[in-house]
Amino acid sequence: MQLSASQRSAHHGREAPRTGTRGRVSIAAAVIVGSLALSACGSSQSGSQQASATTQAPQSGGALTYAVDKTQLTLDPAVSAQSVTALIDRNIFDSLVVQTGPSSFGPWLATRWTTSPDGKTYTFHLRRGVTFHDGTPFTAAAVKASLDHVVDPKTASQYAASLLPTYEGSKVIAPDQVQIRLSAPFRPLLQALSTAYLGIQSPKALALPVGKYAPVGTGPFKYGSWVNKKNVTLNRAASYASAPSNAKHTGAAYLDRLNFQLISEDQTRYGALTSNQVQGIAAVPPSDVASLKSSSSAQVLSVPQPGNSYSLYFQVKSGPLADVRVRKALSAAIDVKTLIKTVYFGQFPAATNPLGPTTAYHDASAGQELQGFDLATAKRLLDEAGWTTVNSSGYRTKDGKQLTVEWPTLAVNESASDNTLGQGIVANAKAAGIDLRRPSLDVGAYIDAVKKTKYSVIDAGGGRADPDILRFLYGAKQTFLTGGGNTSLVASPQLDGWLNDGLVSSEPTKLAADYSAAQKYILSNAFQLPLHDNVSIAGFSKTVKGVASDVSGYPLFYSAWLDD
Amino acid sequence: MHYRRWVVRRLWLGILVIWGAATTSFVALQLLPGNPALVIAGGGNNYPSEATLRAVERTYGFDKSIVTQYLTFLGRLLRGDFGDSYQLHQPVGSILSSQAAASAELAAGGAIIGALVGVAVALATAGRPRAAGAARCLELLAVSTPGFWIGLVLLSLFSFDLHLFPVIGNDGVSSLVLPWITLALPVAGSTSLVMREEMEQALVQPFALTVRARGVSESRLRSRHLLKHTAPPVLTLSSWIVGQLFGGVVVIEQVFARDGLGQTLVAAVEGRDLPVVTGVVVFVAVVFVLVNFVVDGLYLAVDPRLRRQPA
Repeated sequence: MQLSASQRSAHHGREAPRTGTRGRVSIAAAVIVGSLALSACGSSQSGSQQASATTQAPQSGGALTYAVDKTQLTLDPAVSAQSVTALIDRNIFDSLVVQTGPSSFGPWLATRWTTSPDGKTYTFHLRRGVTFHDGTPFTAAAVKASLDHVVDPKTASQYAASLLPTYEGSKVIAPDQVQIRLSAPFRPLLQALSTAYLGIQSPKALALPVGKYAPVGTGPFKYGSWVNKKNVTLNRAASYASAPSNAKHTGAAYLDRLNFQLISEDQTRYGALTSNQVQGIAAVPPSDVASLKSSSSAQVLSVPQPGNSYSLYFQVKSGPLADVRVRKALSAAIDVKTLIKTVYFGQFPAATNPLGPTTAYHDASAGQELQGFDLATAKRLLDEAGWTTVNSSGYRTKDGKQLTVEWPTLAVNESASDNTLGQGIVANAKAAGIDLRRPSLDVGAYIDAVKKTKYSVIDAGGGRADPDILRFLYGAKQTFLTGGGNTSLVASPQLDGWLNDGLVSSEPTKLAADYSAAQKYILSNAFQLPLHDNVSIAGFSKTVKGVASDVSGYPLFYSAWLDD
Repeated sequence: MHYRRWVVRRLWLGILVIWGAATTSFVALQLLPGNPALVIAGGGNNYPSEATLRAVERTYGFDKSIVTQYLTFLGRLLRGDFGDSYQLHQPVGSILSSQAAASAELAAGGAIIGALVGVAVALATAGRPRAAGAARCLELLAVSTPGFWIGLVLLSLFSFDLHLFPVIGNDGVSSLVLPWITLALPVAGSTSLVMREEMEQALVQPFALTVRARGVSESRLRSRHLLKHTAPPVLTLSSWIVGQLFGGVVVIEQVFARDGLGQTLVAAVEGRDLPVVTGVVVFVAVVFVLVNFVVDGLYLAVDPRLRRQPA
């Protein structure tokens, strides 16, 4: 899912959240706990202005309006690939398990679980006495119905189905016991099950025709209304008693109502928060983060997101980038650090690794294999690769052919900042004599270009919170046409060995060694040029307390409350 | 009795225009590169499985020939059935009716305010060189400043700083004031530019002198006698303004976080949502045909010379 990764980045990385380097270590620690209080965030950033807030008792009541920058096409998490759908649905649906750290999971709707020795059968023991918002009891049958719905071709899942690649079926053992059978071991299953995309839905609601779909889960808020392109309103589920094991409280949510209001224009969304017309906003523009942080009435929730860093992926099978020297030359031509710092106002850390630092088995030392910025090296590498002559436009040529590199981008994913970064990269490449072309395409044309391999560079980032994203991006079998994200078209038995090991192994030291080798191999072969780590940046009014953040960086509203 | 013939002819022309608009949008969406089933099933996010792809193709009839798809499309159109949105799985008719109202109140308010302001400014400044010069400057500024920018300036001033008007919600007049002003400014500018020009020409006609000689006051001369003379060019302008308004609402809906036809169309084009795209295009074509029909009728009403021969 190159594409997918790219899209997801758009969603993950850009859409809701985006950015920020602040207090990375302390925030990362907080995220591992899985519930990052805004107050904790505030204090790590600017002293103890919020310290007293943590001791205050939460108050129930009130409505919180959170302005999002993109709108969902559906609220069915099994269908949508949009992070805004996941953001909203997280409040409606509970999952079987909760991700509590880069590679740790806790009970949620499942109280405990076991894995068969061959890694192909998972047995989940379910919480009893939970009911869906429509009154249907939560049982093993609901788990089966939800997962079967995800993989049903009629559902036309854009993302969730890719989280269950080897799903064979579910078996109801007892009302409170369900068995998930896989055709091949899939280590990231728990991580997949912890996402809102695989949230457990009411079988009764799923039985309705697609035009009548309404999201019905067991979560802390129930679906109220959706006015297309305007807002989604959720109401508190008063009898909620199935909070995840790492939540800050149990029982019903504090807020009476939760509104997700669409304000797609960045400046309007920002102004709506600073003028207190909404209590929170997604995707604070990087240029506005500093002024929001210094504001007396607002605070910033900035959380690093795990997954693949936003990167340029080089297509190594055909075209000029098939030569590793040209790939390294292109890497050496681009001053990533300066560009990222300037374009994103210091809110995103420049990346040196295929995986974000909060991803399990991220190896910081792999960055040493990366070909860093050095214009002289870039020119020398191009000379060595035979691109020795320079034409009148200043571009390198070989046998009369200009060194032209195609980099199609997906218009709907691009923020203004991304576009600026892209232009900076093109300018950097030109200084080294590389003609980097960057057409902006609509979805159909983009898919077409990828399908027909009419590209040498693809930008993507922000995939799922598991190092298995590397297999998705580099597995020889994970080409775009098979639903994968290997747009680099890398086919390396060595890399496949490590990544397939990572898929089935459950031995942490083995996993660490495998993923470390993979990260180093990817960088030393210049398969990709990491640009920046993904950070989710949300803004909140200071009256909002208790907002947590999940491992993927999304704000969680279950324990949120308003301090009037 | 050429009135009836005129009406019948206009009706046929109108149907032709609507058919042309629908066909053009159908063809345009076919010409876009890429497979629509891929866009619907993958959304650019990933490549769907063969089974999913086939299911989507069957559901939306993409597996049929283009001619069959076109004929099905026309047949439905004839029955007034636009089908269901590929993306939202709702009937296009209900999407249009819910979104058209929001856009209509926006556009109608902008047009009315713009026209009133434009007429008032023209009346007040025609034939008064200094006032007319100043007005012309402001009018050109209003016509040429992007609505996007005007909207953001109005928002930051009156909503974010002064808290006079809300930015969210389509509810009530208070949320409409700023979008109306944004939309009205270019309308007012162009209306008043054209009207003043016409009035100034009429002011030097012999009939103006005759009216004055009867002792009619200057303001009565302008409002009673000159206004009529400015009607034909303003009518011509009005169908252009309708087009401007529709373009304007796309941008204004974005800046002011409003729902409406503009944003619906943008999202539908991006998502290859053919039923919604054609629904919006046909709706706009119908509005255009109706506006032009009314405008042409009004020409006949205001200009007696046109009534002598068949139009």
